[in-house]
This record gives sequence, C-alpha cells and structure tokens, in this order.
Amino acid sequence: MSGGVVLAEVWWEQLLHGILSWEFLQFVVAFLSIFGFVLTSAVILILAERKVMAWMQDRYGPLHTGPWGMLQTVADVGKLLLKEDIHAGKIDKAVFILAPSVFLAPVIASFAVLPFSPYISLPGGVLATGIVYLIAMSSLDVVGVVMAGWGSNNKYALIGGLRSAAQMISYELPLVLSLIGIVMLTSVLHDSGLGTIAIKDIMNLQMAQSWPGKGSPVWDFIFEGFTPWAWFILVQPLLLLIYYTCGLAETNRSPFDLPEAESELVAGYLTEYSGMRWALFYLGEYGNMTIVSAITAMLFLGGWSGPGVAFLTAPGMAIGWQVLGNLLALFYFILKVYLLCGVFIWVRTTLPRLRADQLMQFAWLILIPTTLVNIVLTGALYLVLNALGASNLVFLVVLGVVNWLMLFGFFWVVSRATTASTRRAVAPAIRARQRLAALAAAPAAPQLPEPERASVTGAGAGSSR
Amino acid sequence: MATNQGVNRPPLEGVAPGELRSEEMILNMGPQHPSTHGVLRLVLTLEGETVVDCTPVIGYLHRGIEKILENRTVMAGIRYMDNADYLSPMLNETAYVGAVEQLMGIEPPRRAQYIRLITNELQRIASHLVAIGTYLLDLGAFTPILWTFRDREGILSLFEALGGSRFNVNYMRVGGVLHDFPRGWLQQCEAWCNQFEKNLQELETLITGNEIFEARTQGVGYVDPQQAIAYGLTGPMLRASGVNWDLRVNRPYMAYREVKVNPQVRQEGDCYARYRVRMQEMAESLRLVRVAMDQLPGGPISTRTPIALRPPRGETYFAIESSKGELGIYFISDGSEYPWRAKIRGPSFVNLQILPELLRGHKMSDVVAILGSLDIVLGEVDR
Repeated sequence: MSGGVVLAEVWWEQLLHGILSWEFLQFVVAFLSIFGFVLTSAVILILAERKVMAWMQDRYGPLHTGPWGMLQTVADVGKLLLKEDIHAGKIDKAVFILAPSVFLAPVIASFAVLPFSPYISLPGGVLATGIVYLIAMSSLDVVGVVMAGWGSNNKYALIGGLRSAAQMISYELPLVLSLIGIVMLTSVLHDSGLGTIAIKDIMNLQMAQSWPGKGSPVWDFIFEGFTPWAWFILVQPLLLLIYYTCGLAETNRSPFDLPEAESELVAGYLTEYSGMRWALFYLGEYGNMTIVSAITAMLFLGGWSGPGVAFLTAPGMAIGWQVLGNLLALFYFILKVYLLCGVFIWVRTTLPRLRADQLMQFAWLILIPTTLVNIVLTGALYLVLNALGASNLVFLVVLGVVNWLMLFGFFWVVSRATTASTRRAVAPAIRARQRLAALAAAPAAPQLPEPERASVTGAGAGSSR
Repeated sequence: MATNQGVNRPPLEGVAPGELRSEEMILNMGPQHPSTHGVLRLVLTLEGETVVDCTPVIGYLHRGIEKILENRTVMAGIRYMDNADYLSPMLNETAYVGAVEQLMGIEPPRRAQYIRLITNELQRIASHLVAIGTYLLDLGAFTPILWTFRDREGILSLFEALGGSRFNVNYMRVGGVLHDFPRGWLQQCEAWCNQFEKNLQELETLITGNEIFEARTQGVGYVDPQQAIAYGLTGPMLRASGVNWDLRVNRPYMAYREVKVNPQVRQEGDCYARYRVRMQEMAESLRLVRVAMDQLPGGPISTRTPIALRPPRGETYFAIESSKGELGIYFISDGSEYPWRAKIRGPSFVNLQILPELLRGHKMSDVVAILGSLDIVLGEVDR
C-alpha cells in the first residue's frame, strides 16, 4: 500500500483498512498467542512447582483434581476468576486497581522479542535491540509493585513495596552488567565486527560454523546447529551464575523473596489483593520466571539448538521436514526453559531467605564489583591476545579458563564475605567464648551447689495448717 | 494509621516547609500473623526497618486452664494439662502428676518411671522438631518443616498406640501411667529411632551448613549468661547462653536419677546457638530413649492409688525440664479431691519476657528470627 493511496481515503476507510490489514491481524494473533503462552506457562509452572516441591519434601502435592492433580491449577484459576473483587476502604483506588496491570503488561510485552524456533517468532523477534528492550521491560515491573504497595494503604504492603523497589533497582545493575560480558563476546565473534544485541543473532553465534560438517548424515543430523562446546556457558559461566542470581532477585523468588516474605510481611505488597487481581500478580511473577529462564537459555545455553533442528530446517528440505524441525526447536527451547525454571523451584525448596541489608550488601559489594571486573578482564584479555596476534578461538579458550577460575574465586569470595560479616555479628559471642576459655584455664570452675531435692512442705497429716 | 493520610496532615511543628521529616512507624504484628506462632501480638515501633521498641501483648489464647484445674478432680485435671503447652502434652502431664505424687509422698514403680522417661524424651524430640521446622519456615525455608513433621508424625503414632490419642494423650496417672506398652510397641519405637537417626542427619545436612541460615542467625538475638539468669530463662534458651543448667541433671527426678543426661550447652548465646542446642538435644533425647529401652525394668506400671484421690492438705512445687525449660507446678491442696490452686510456671511465658530486650536495634526481618528462636507456645504463655 503506497502512501498516496492512504491519503486519498477518508478517515474511516483508513481505519477499516488498518484493522483489516495483514499486519494488524498478525499483531492480534501474535498478542493472543503470547498472552496464551504466558497464562498456560504460568499454570503449568505453578503445578510443576507444587509437584516438584512436594516430591522434594516427601509429600504428594495436589492429587484429587484430575489425574494426579493435573487440573488443580486450572480449577484454581477458575476459582480466582469467580471470586468477589474485594478492596479495603481508604485505598488509593486508581493506583490499587491499575497496579496488577502495570505489573503484568511489561512481562507480556517482553515476550514480544523472544524467538521460539527458526521460523516461529513474533514480528518483534527481529528487533535489533533485543536485550535492551528486555531489560527495559523487566525494569518496568517495579513500578507495578510500588504502586501495589502504596495503593493498598497497608503497612505491610508499603514495606513490601519499598523493599521491592530497593531490591529490583539494585539487582538491575549486576543483571545488565552480566549481559554486557556476552555482548562483548559477540563483538568479537560477529561478522560485522561491531557486535549485536539482537537475541537471535547472539544465539546464532553459539551454533553457526561451529560444526564443520562431516558429510555423514547421522553426525550431521545430531551436531549441525547443536554445538554445546560453543555455548556461552562454557566461556562465561560466572556471568550465567550472576545473571541467574539476579534473575531470582528480579522475579522476587526465594531466597530473595523479601518483598512478599510471608513470615515477616504477611504477603508484602500482595497483602490486600485477592481474586483475579492477585492472580495477575502471580501470572506476572511466573511469566517473569519464564522470561529470565528463556533469556538464560538463549544467551548461554544455545536457545533452541538441539539434535536435528538445523539439519531439518536447512534450506532445501521439504516443507514437512521444515515443520518438524521447527517443532523440535520449540520442544528443545521450552525444555531448556522449564529445566531452568526447575532450578528456580529447587532453589526455593532449599534456601532460607536473606535479610534486607544482607541482600543489598550482596548486590552492591559482591555482584556489581565482580561483574565490573569481569567486563574489564574480558576487554583486557582481548586487547592483549589480539595484540599478540592470537585467533578468536585462543581468546575464547583463555577467557573460558579465566572465567571458570573466577567462578570458583567467586564462591570463595562469597564465603569469605559471609564469614567476615558474620564474625562482626557474633563479636559478643566470641568475647563470651574467650571468657569461657579464660574460665577453663582457671583452676576448678565454680560449680553450682547441688541443693536438696525440693522438699514437700506441709505434706501428710499433722503438718502445720 | 493510614499511610496515605499524611497528605492532609497539618504541617508538623519544628519542620520547615519543604523539609522532609521522618517519623517512627508503629506496626501491629499479630495476633493474626503467619509467624507469631499462634496469637501473639507484637506492637513494634519501627524506624525504617530498625526496631526501636516492641511490646508483646498476650492473652489471646487464654482458656483459664489453671482455673479449670481447680474445678476438676486431680485425675480429671491431667487431661487439661495437655492443652497448656500443646506441643508437649506428655511433659505437662508428668509435671502435674509429679506434683501430686510429691505432695502425697507416692513413688511410682521403676517401670512407670522409665515409661515416663521414654515418652518424655520422645515428646521433647517432637517439640523440638516443631520448633526447628517452624523456625526455618519463619526464615523462609520451606522444606525443613515438612521433614520435621514427617518425623513427628511417627512419634504421634507411637503415642496413639500408647494412649489412644495422638495429641491430647492423657497417658500419665498419679502413681504411674495408664497402660503398659502394647505388644510390639518397643520394636516400633526402635524402628522409629533408627529411622529418625538418619533423618536427623539429613536435616543437619540441609540446614546447618547453609550460609544464608548462618548469616541470618549468627550473632542475632544475643543473650549473655548474666542476662539469661536475670530474666529467669530456662531450657535451650539458657543453655545456648552457656549456662549449664538442666533440671534433669541438677534436680534429677524420676528415672533421671538412674539414666544420666548429658546437658547440651553452647556458648554463643545467639539464635544459631539456640538452634544448635535443640538439634543436639534431639540427638541426646534419642540416646536417652534407647538407653531407657535397654534398661527398662519389669514390674507394675502403677502404684495402687485410691479412686477418689485426695492429696493431703499442703502445698508443693515440682518442676521438670520441659522441652522449653523449667515447667513447674505449684500445687496447693486443701485436702479435698479438687486442687485448691494449681499454678503453672510455663517456660514459654518466662522466656518470652526477654523478647523486647532482644529485638531493640535489630532489623525487622530479625524479629521473626529472634521470636522463632525463643520457641514459645502461646498455649503455655496464655494458659
């Protein structure tokens, strides 16, 4: 449709053509399918969480709704939809009502740039600024949480909302900084020499040209496009760990679930919410979990790459094989995403919750310096090796080795930091122990005298009245 | 009260217009709150996240147990003792019947004393299991409580086989116990002990080395020994502060005169020490149960006592080492079938008194960490 034709139409014709256009239809379908994916994914994840946690905790989990309780979350969603919409008096009504939408909308919007398989992706999937867009969207979440905390007119909610604001903003920084390491890698590997922040390009860098092709169909089928030795997890494992940790904090999951810490803040910013508004927050949270896992899978674990995908979707294959290849890719991708979500659940069953000040210390004193050091180190290594005339492969190997060493160094630093901060806290106890040692050195510690057994006063006949 | 109403307030005195002024916030924690272990209400004064002051408000679970005891015969009153500290009914009953026996000058048969020891130690394990499970739940770890409740379930099944009831066992009698062990009970108990030994190890692996757990508990809620004695703390609270005081050792009663207890003491005095003391006490109780089962003497399980039990006129105080500390019964009898007064010295109530002192200056998240480490049962605090 050229511009001139559009101008010739009256406004309602323009509107009609706009609505009936192919692009608009594509947009509607894309939106609906993403919305459907987020909802379904949340429902599946909630069920999976309950089942996996039950399995880890020596119990059954949901059993009675549907076979093995498979329909439990479906029933829950039905219940939540039908519940009465309750809100307390004296709330800031507009803020209170808008908050769930403000929380959920960025989550759904961030799915727009996620490619799901070689051919299945939204119009936004080709967006060149994928990572920046995702980070921007995930930063918007905090607005919804603060709105919920403020609008509820509840002290627990307010504290939860403010904690959440502090937490999400603090963890945003190491999250971005950890992704910068990956972007730096792409600038080395990408043909343009400029690097890329498009998610699909970063993923392609992990599989293209890493398998030379042996000509044997079996090996080609398995390894074409499926090259775990080229995944960025091997080169930057520390960044994966930090990104994932920050992801836990971003999504308010245990051990960083302070904003909704049940034992302290009742339900944090969710305290006053019930029914579908509450469910929207939950959808957002689980959608966030999916997003974090999906990005981790894309950037560090090769995205949808798996045996057969690139082989079947290679140009020149029959359309049936192409479809099969896409379905396989979808399967691998979702498998990786859910495995990573499984780690979320695993962490939740294992760890207690951090305290607010410890949480901040961890972000500002450990995570941010580590990621900054990593960025400087990556750059310095490249400059040095490049000056020495080493190839990209040598750079990647050296960087990988250094990063793995840094990973173990990171564990050491964290444990040292914990010990140090704990030692400060237990100072009075240490003094007590020293006192005890002094006592033990002194001869014969004074023993409490052994008194008579508590005697009966006035028992039996003839006792004093 | 309302956070949004600050907008309409008149300008505060002494604050220049445009200047930000912060003030303390009063937060009402409980009685409906997930981690106040029942219906404790804490009125917290917060300066940001820091606790400035705390006032515990109790009495929401008052059922007048002491008054009920006065209106029941001695035998009928035993059952009401179950409800005082509802996590350790066996221990409560032992304290009550022990007081009556001391007043009447009855010495229960040795077998009965050993049965009491076994059930008491099992009950202590059960109570500590709940304490540790709920404590970790307060700190945000979800798994331990389910594991500990699984093990506690075994103890409750054993009690069910013994007394016919899982919770309010009503098993102790003045002069002995209700029944002897049913057939196979000891084997079942042995099997449970073997299983629990493994499970306890598993629990240690899950919790003890955890850095987050250590960071949350070490150095938090420090009680020094003098303070502990001054506040009259008893039980794990006291022993975690390095004071070696255990009534089973220092005032041995019943079978504890024959079965020696190793008191578990730690010097740190913080929440972590209290947790560790409870863990160690569970292992020690497990050992005691096994020793007592090995040494279990034969003979009758009860002395003959009159059906209408009339303790002689007089008064006495009898205390046992409950799971939470010194559980004492101050018993006054006027010579009738009804106690004239039965005062319960609940360790939870006494241990709770130190809470405001401990909370001052700590962060808000530490409130639950400290409160959980006190291991109070509101049934015993309010009675």
